[in-house]
Amino acid sequence: MSEKLQQIINKQNKALSGEDIKIDEVIQLVGFIVGDEEFSVPILSIQEIIKPISWTRVPQTPTYILGVFNLRGSVIPLIDLRSRFGLETQKHTEETRFIVMKNNDDVAGFVIDRLTEAIRLPKKDVGPAPDTINEEESMIDGVGKQADRIITILKVGKLLERNF
Amino acid sequence: MDEFQEILQDFLVESFELIEQLDQDLVELESRPDDLDLLNRIFRVAHTIKGASSFLNFDVLTHLTHHMENLLNMARHGDLVIDADVMDVILESIDLMKALLVRIRDSGEDSGLEVNPCVVRLDAVANGTSLGETVPPPAGAAPTPTPAPVAPVAAVEEEPDYSGMSDEEVEAEIERLIAVRQAEDAAKRASHAPAAVEEEPDYSGMSDEEVEAEIERLIAVRQAEDAAKRSHKAEEPEAPKATPVPAPAPVAITPAPVAPPAAPKAAATPRKVEPKDDGENRSGAAVEQTIRVDVKRLDHLMNLIGELVLGKNRLIKINDDVEERYEGEAFLEELNQVVSIVSLVTTDLQIAVMKTRMLPIGKVFNKFPRMIRDLSRELNKKIELEITGEETELDKSIVEEIGDPLVHIIRNSCDHGVETPDVRVASGKEEGGTIQLKAYHEGNHIVIQIIDDGKGLDAEMLKMKSIEKGIITEKEADAMTEKEAFGLIFRPGFSTAAQVTSVSGRGVGMDVVKTNIEKLNGMIDIDSEVGKGTSMKLKIPLTLAIIQALLVGVQEEYYAIPLASVLETVRISKDEIYTVESRSVMRLRDEVLSLVHIGDIFEVERVFDNSEHAYVVVLGLAESKIGLIVDSLVGQEEIVIKSLGEYLKGIEGIAGATIRGDGGVTLIVDVAALMQMAKSVKSTVGQESAEAKGRIGTKNSASDYCVMIVDDSKTDRTIMRKSLEPMGITLIEANDGVEALNILKQGDHTFDGMLVDIEMPRMDGYTLAAEIKKYNKYKNLPLIAVTSRTGKADRMRGVESGMVEYITKPYSPEYLMSVVKRNIKFNEGL
Repeated sequence: MSEKLQQIINKQNKALSGEDIKIDEVIQLVGFIVGDEEFSVPILSIQEIIKPISWTRVPQTPTYILGVFNLRGSVIPLIDLRSRFGLETQKHTEETRFIVMKNNDDVAGFVIDRLTEAIRLPKKDVGPAPDTINEEESMIDGVGKQADRIITILKVGKLLERNF
Repeated sequence: MDEFQEILQDFLVESFELIEQLDQDLVELESRPDDLDLLNRIFRVAHTIKGASSFLNFDVLTHLTHHMENLLNMARHGDLVIDADVMDVILESIDLMKALLVRIRDSGEDSGLEVNPCVVRLDAVANGTSLGETVPPPAGAAPTPTPAPVAPVAAVEEEPDYSGMSDEEVEAEIERLIAVRQAEDAAKRASHAPAAVEEEPDYSGMSDEEVEAEIERLIAVRQAEDAAKRSHKAEEPEAPKATPVPAPAPVAITPAPVAPPAAPKAAATPRKVEPKDDGENRSGAAVEQTIRVDVKRLDHLMNLIGELVLGKNRLIKINDDVEERYEGEAFLEELNQVVSIVSLVTTDLQIAVMKTRMLPIGKVFNKFPRMIRDLSRELNKKIELEITGEETELDKSIVEEIGDPLVHIIRNSCDHGVETPDVRVASGKEEGGTIQLKAYHEGNHIVIQIIDDGKGLDAEMLKMKSIEKGIITEKEADAMTEKEAFGLIFRPGFSTAAQVTSVSGRGVGMDVVKTNIEKLNGMIDIDSEVGKGTSMKLKIPLTLAIIQALLVGVQEEYYAIPLASVLETVRISKDEIYTVESRSVMRLRDEVLSLVHIGDIFEVERVFDNSEHAYVVVLGLAESKIGLIVDSLVGQEEIVIKSLGEYLKGIEGIAGATIRGDGGVTLIVDVAALMQMAKSVKSTVGQESAEAKGRIGTKNSASDYCVMIVDDSKTDRTIMRKSLEPMGITLIEANDGVEALNILKQGDHTFDGMLVDIEMPRMDGYTLAAEIKKYNKYKNLPLIAVTSRTGKADRMRGVESGMVEYITKPYSPEYLMSVVKRNIKFNEGL
């Protein structure tokens, strides 16, 4: 009897601690589509997601910087992720969104084709970025694997870093 | 006893009056050491104080003043030349004397201060022996705003600030003050500063009453310091002068209950607005007329005002729209009134808040006479500083930021600019160099000018040095103008000093100057002539937050140009633009003005350019002028400067952004950078855009014509479609104004005309027309109203909002078709 009890307690303990680890190791991401690929960023790095609003072009900047827009009184840069990733630009659709990301004091809006969903991913399912690193790919923090798909996790700090 | 107090009172009043004069005299004496009048006056002060103090049995004071008197007497008789070393000692002894007097006033006795070292030095100087040890320069002369000797004493219970406190709070406050005081004293003792005004009394040996009195004194000192700080903050131009001057003024003696005659004191410091001082002088506890405010609160207030200004701009815009729409309605007048009151009050409020943040630049300038004095001693040069315009006011945040750059520039002028006396004499100049420090207003800017008559900057030498240090290449150097070469001194790592001195030469100073000034949106202009001297002009905006700007349009973009740089605007016809050496120029009265198109600077795609006329905004900066061609002038607006943020900072030609009345973002032009850029852009002025030319003539088939139908009723749209389909033209449908506008903006189609219903949800036809007309591209797009509204007023409004035709429902298909054909210039031959 006591042996059985002990076993049960052990089992429960295991389950408890196991669950604790699980909670620790799950990362929450927001997934979105740019071009044909699904990308994601950590949910905590997102300030807000808004529908497209008008923006003002800023001269002397790379083409992927669309300009600046007014987010409730703050002037925030707007970056087109399609052209940032070297894809062809396309007209904004009903599904186009601006994701406003922040990293410390840096804030910028990013144009994405459409949102997918909020993703909870165990850390163990996240692999390192592929070795073939070039400038574009160094924005990749890691690759998340889910049953039927692969999600690229982006480095928000890198996205918000000025590189011109 | 009463009699003694009365005499003591008179003695103190007299002494402080004398000392007040002394400060000014001493500064003058240094520049005119052989002025006998001055010397006599100073001598008399020492003499008078000595006489009176011996009578009143203040032995320490007598001892000190006696030796001072000796020394000054020798100087008076020509036995001793007052040089800087002697001056150092005299200044030191005067500071000590002041400190002693303050002690007497506060505690009734002159013990506790060590005067002997000073007396020894006085004697040493008097005997002609040089000062063996290096005496650190005394911190006493007039320009040093030491609040310490300022000690108007008022009993603690008289002070309104403290009356509300509980016993514990008072206790805590006293402890804090003592701690502060002790720390200060300790610091002073540690540095052996002879100017340590009040030595720390030995608390352990004091009786309870003495401790009590001491505490009160400390509180009073503390309050006096606060008062001095407040009077700095108080917005009034004479504040810098006030720093040293009012020091002895507020006299009220704790141990002696007799209040001194305050009236002559108040008269002795004539100032424009000084309610606080008057109050303190009279009773020491009158109603407070100034309060200290945390700068953070002011900053917050300023931010709020900024938002309010944006809101005001928005309100004005909405008012204009409403006015247009409901013209002639009675409530409009009322609305107008409210809007104008709000905008007036906002502007006043903004000015008022700005003023609370204004400080005279003298606050910064104050420390330079002393700095120059010390530097010239250290560098063995003779340098004089002339200050003008110290009463010029500017925003507090700028006053804070401007200090460091000025220190660097002045140090630089002393070290590299002004030559040593022998070099100066050899090159035929006066032995002593002069540095002028000027401040004045110029438009919305304050200009601070630092002019020295030193050796000047040698452009060639600067270039050589820079090449040597790898800052620039030889090729770059060749292309540089003289001014650009002068600018090299602001590059990091650049130093022309052959030797690194303690003053400068490490190559960090001047690039700090540039960074700081740029941070303030200011400009630096250097003028220099070898052998003649250098003039450095810092032009800084009065406030950082809100400026007046001229809004200009180019194609569909708008830019804000700081009004301070706009000299005038002119409208010219395109024939007046000439091309000289592939640059566009125009004649403006007697001058030839070079022109640049704003679109060329900011890479604006020009799709539409058919007007015969152009607007030229004449920009002026320092000596240079340029004409900026824009498509339209929108007007003048008060804008709040917002930064573009870390990600987009430092974009050439853009100084920042602002949020307009309609919520959109407008970029602010950096005029200085624009002028630089204008030199290198390829001019396209006068060239018509290819697209504009190609617009007509590309219609090869009927389907190349494109017309939009905007109507909220599906039936109406279908009727219009059916009527127009026989023409074979492309038809696009939109549900309402908002959708129509979006389709237009997307630019998938080039429309030749639009059929617009008036009554529509979300955005009606009039508003849509007005919105469309805002785009230069669509200014000439024919808009045809199709409506059941038949009133004359409706027709009028249609015309006003830019409709070309007005079709009333019902209509025949043929009629609609003919109207459309006419308006889109349909080519029947296709």
